[in-house]
Amino acid sequence: MTVVPARSSEWVRPVTSREPASAIIEIDRVSQVFQTSARKDHVALSDISLTIEEGAFVSILGPSGCGKSTLLYIVGGFVSPTSGTAKIKGHAITGPGPDRGPVFQEFALFPWKTVLGNVVYGPRQQGVRAAEAEAQSRTLIEMVGLKGFENFYPKELSGGMKQRVALARTLAYHPEVLLMDEPFGALDAHTRTRLQNDLLNIWERDRKTVLFVTHSVDEAVFLSDKVVMMSKSPGRIRQVIDIDLPRPRRRNELLLDSRYQKYVVDIERMFDDGDEGGPAS
Amino acid sequence: MMSPAALIRRAAPVLACLGLLAVWQVASLVLKNDSFPTAIDAIRAIPDILGDKESLINILASLRRMAIGFGVAVLVSIPLGLLMGRSRGVAAFFNPLLMVIYPVPKAALMPIIMLWLGVGDVTKTLVIFLGVSLPVIYHSFEGAKAVEEKMLWSGAAMGLSPAQRLVRIVLPAALPEILTGCRTGLVLALITMITSEMIARQSGAGNILFNALDMGQYDTVFAMIIIVGAMGICLDAIFERVRARLVRWSEPQFDMPLSFS
Repeated sequence: MTVVPARSSEWVRPVTSREPASAIIEIDRVSQVFQTSARKDHVALSDISLTIEEGAFVSILGPSGCGKSTLLYIVGGFVSPTSGTAKIKGHAITGPGPDRGPVFQEFALFPWKTVLGNVVYGPRQQGVRAAEAEAQSRTLIEMVGLKGFENFYPKELSGGMKQRVALARTLAYHPEVLLMDEPFGALDAHTRTRLQNDLLNIWERDRKTVLFVTHSVDEAVFLSDKVVMMSKSPGRIRQVIDIDLPRPRRRNELLLDSRYQKYVVDIERMFDDGDEGGPAS
Repeated sequence: MMSPAALIRRAAPVLACLGLLAVWQVASLVLKNDSFPTAIDAIRAIPDILGDKESLINILASLRRMAIGFGVAVLVSIPLGLLMGRSRGVAAFFNPLLMVIYPVPKAALMPIIMLWLGVGDVTKTLVIFLGVSLPVIYHSFEGAKAVEEKMLWSGAAMGLSPAQRLVRIVLPAALPEILTGCRTGLVLALITMITSEMIARQSGAGNILFNALDMGQYDTVFAMIIIVGAMGICLDAIFERVRARLVRWSEPQFDMPLSFS
């Protein structure tokens, strides 16, 4: 068990001396300050260092406002950090690129494109021939469970279906890292559970590196190899916890597993011990 | 066979037009004013106008100026509006300029433009251009501003350059809003077309109308008003068809078959 209750004065810095060969994302002393008004700066992230290994499913867990999404946007290249550096495969991140595929809570589908049109967009942009891109996209659409909906427009789909399209659209251009920004946050509990299961099934096929932002302890423990706990004001890494549970994970087995339960309870307790509000379970 | 509700919906605009004509007819018979011909007299004068080669040339000249003014305005205004919507610098530069021009009736600029460019086609087309530009710029601006940031990020992650994002994401995403502006612009094009011909008489539908007014041919005046109105309704209906096809993917919304802008 790697869960060690952290004292509030002692911020546990994640280990950075791992095998460099296996590190795909390296975040080095990143800080992000937003100017909210002329008088006041808001420190969203303070001195974050984190290494993510290739093929790992890593969740960033924390209360709202702890800057966890900002951290994801920095890795995505959508936001430049105020200080510090983020690297992918040893190269400094200067902007977005097809090696990092985002999936947002807001889905962000192209509403003027059909399901197929959305999924085929990335590969076509990458120069894949039309017929080939379409064939691959149809396979992906089937994989996310939307066979038969290829010609539907996003407005005709439910939230869960939209997020499935968004996942397929991002997988379609083969990013090396999936950046998931509270992807199931806007969905009802039942849909969320189903998408979590399906995401795990899809992920277990090719084990892409996933950086997954969430405020749900259950979700983080269920999905991840590693949970990065963050605290807010300013956003810092509080603790990094390895989730040592066997894969493939099945929800009905896991919920009865005492190790799973202990992770959830321990993490919730650690957030409760902190002086800031913890995330929802 | 249509359902009764659908039948009523279809018949409603026709009934409204017939009702208007009936009220007109009665009002004119009651008032007995020379300058207010009956609806039937006005309608009777329509074939005379449309059968006259000179009148047709005038009306076609009007439509040509309107088409050019509208087309050029749309081609200039959409890119400008989109750029303003996505770039604070561009918006900060153009916003004050547009705010100054917006409330000025474009017809009020005509005497000056006439002084510079004469009373010909260029002047009138320019006035139509000015009338159409502002609503199209404004709606393109608003549409571009409202485009979801995450949608642009998704495009950027796929490798779209900023220019590609403007054309391939901002433009289609803002299209419903842009087309709303174009629809307003189309009606304004018709209005400025007639106004410009009222001020600079020489040719056009407005020219026929105001010449008839000068000569006291009131049935022709009212016939021209009907013709211009019918032109507006037809143009709007055609535009609405094109619009509905282009933005089929966007949210369905309640809409009247005719616009009353």
